[in-house]
Amino acid sequence: MSHGHATELALKIENLTAGYPDNVVLNDVSWQVKKGTLAAIIGPNGGGKSTLLKTAVGLLSPFKYKTMELLGHSPKIGRKRVAYLPQQEEVDWDFPITVLEVVLQGRLVRQGLWGRYTKADYALSDDSLRFFGLEKYRHTQVGSLSGGQRQRVFLARALVQEADLILLDEPSTGLDAKAQHELADLFRILRDQGKTIVAATHDLNCLTECFDHVLALDGSVRASGKPHEVLTEENMVRLFARHFPKIGAAGEVTLHEH
Amino acid sequence: MNIDLLFEPFQYAFMVRAFVGTGLVAVVAAAIGAFVVLKGLAFMGDAISHTAFTGIALALILGISIYVGALFFAIFTALGVVFLTRISSVKNDTALAILFTGVFALGIALLSGTPGFGGDLNSLLLGSVMAIQVREVYTLAVAAVLLGLVLATFFHRFVLVSFDPVGAEAAGFPVALVQSVLLIMIACAIVISIQAVGVILVVALLITPAATASLLTKNLKTLILLSSAFGLLSSFFGLYISYFFGAPPGATVVLVATVFFGFVLGVQKLRGARSV
Repeated sequence: MSHGHATELALKIENLTAGYPDNVVLNDVSWQVKKGTLAAIIGPNGGGKSTLLKTAVGLLSPFKYKTMELLGHSPKIGRKRVAYLPQQEEVDWDFPITVLEVVLQGRLVRQGLWGRYTKADYALSDDSLRFFGLEKYRHTQVGSLSGGQRQRVFLARALVQEADLILLDEPSTGLDAKAQHELADLFRILRDQGKTIVAATHDLNCLTECFDHVLALDGSVRASGKPHEVLTEENMVRLFARHFPKIGAAGEVTLHEH
Repeated sequence: MNIDLLFEPFQYAFMVRAFVGTGLVAVVAAAIGAFVVLKGLAFMGDAISHTAFTGIALALILGISIYVGALFFAIFTALGVVFLTRISSVKNDTALAILFTGVFALGIALLSGTPGFGGDLNSLLLGSVMAIQVREVYTLAVAAVLLGLVLATFFHRFVLVSFDPVGAEAAGFPVALVQSVLLIMIACAIVISIQAVGVILVVALLITPAATASLLTKNLKTLILLSSAFGLLSSFFGLYISYFFGAPPGATVVLVATVFFGFVLGVQKLRGARSV
């Protein structure tokens, strides 16, 4: 199955410029993530964490790029094995849908326009629900679960979709400390099964313990590599400095220049 | 009171046709309406029904089938709105309102300005289900069955693109295509319901029964069944009341649907107040 070096990358981006029609957010970004890696994207608000994820999965069209590859394929083909978990507040949690129905959707995504749920689809979904400890919530409306459980429902769907690359936008937002730890444990287990996980996060607490690789992003790449290489004081000050106001001698408040 | 009086409406063939015709479209509109309510597309439904009116007006003047005219305008509106919201990040409420009221005004001007069509204006605005013909009932039945089949076939996909269009699109699922099919279904449901309740009230057939059902359940299949049941009951009692009081059936059907909504909401508020 492996075709040498190129297919060992889960994500390959070269010279990407992207953003919104009137706002270029990412400038000439290049980044690679090896398969089986737990990667975090950090950076200030507006630094392009979400934009990078959304562009990678085709939710935003890039302005310019040299290379964009998902799991060694063009985005069009690679996307079938990519799961994207949006920010919690982007999901309509009042929607009348059960946990099982959400998880089964992982099969729809693979089927495309035609096809019905088979017995195998249900069996796969049940396995996945058990794996994430959600079996007793099978027929519960998804919005009535806790934040940590909701994340697990979407991860269960990603497994049912047979996704090999899972992208998450701010997965720890709204979770208490215990749920954050449980999520981090799940990430490690999925990574050890060969999945690649890329999470945009503003939570800098557990980066060194939880992730193998960190990208520091503020419009362009400020640093990338192993957590201890990236999380130097110098890098962090540079990355977040413009978001801390300076207070002058006369008490006047000024913001850093970009 | 004479018991025969209760059954009097059913002695007339035109009333039986009206009951069947309105019942069919009410059930289908209420079922599809579940998605309209869940996605907050009531405004879009209103836009579609108003432009469909102009489609019908043009069809009448040109002497072609009113369904063709209505469908053309309805689908054009639905897909046009999707296109607009895709290419522009601005919310298009205002632009859409200007556009659809403008098109609606054009339809009214055309129809009332063309000699011999003034009478059609009233029946289009308020519905004319008492005048429905057997052939039209058959047409409605075929349309209702077709829409029901499409809904059943694509049900899970409609749910997917309504609940999580972003995740589906990221995984390469044809979200825009399925959303378009759903919108065309909504357009069709509106078009076939216009004769029953008229252009002005047709959106109520889509949203009121579904909104009532959404108060009662958090299960989508149950919601759709309940919504259809409310639609059917509203059409039945609405026509019944219309027969005895001589009010336009479109108005009484929508009134009954609204009373159901108010009743369910009221009971829930009372219960909520008691349990606090």
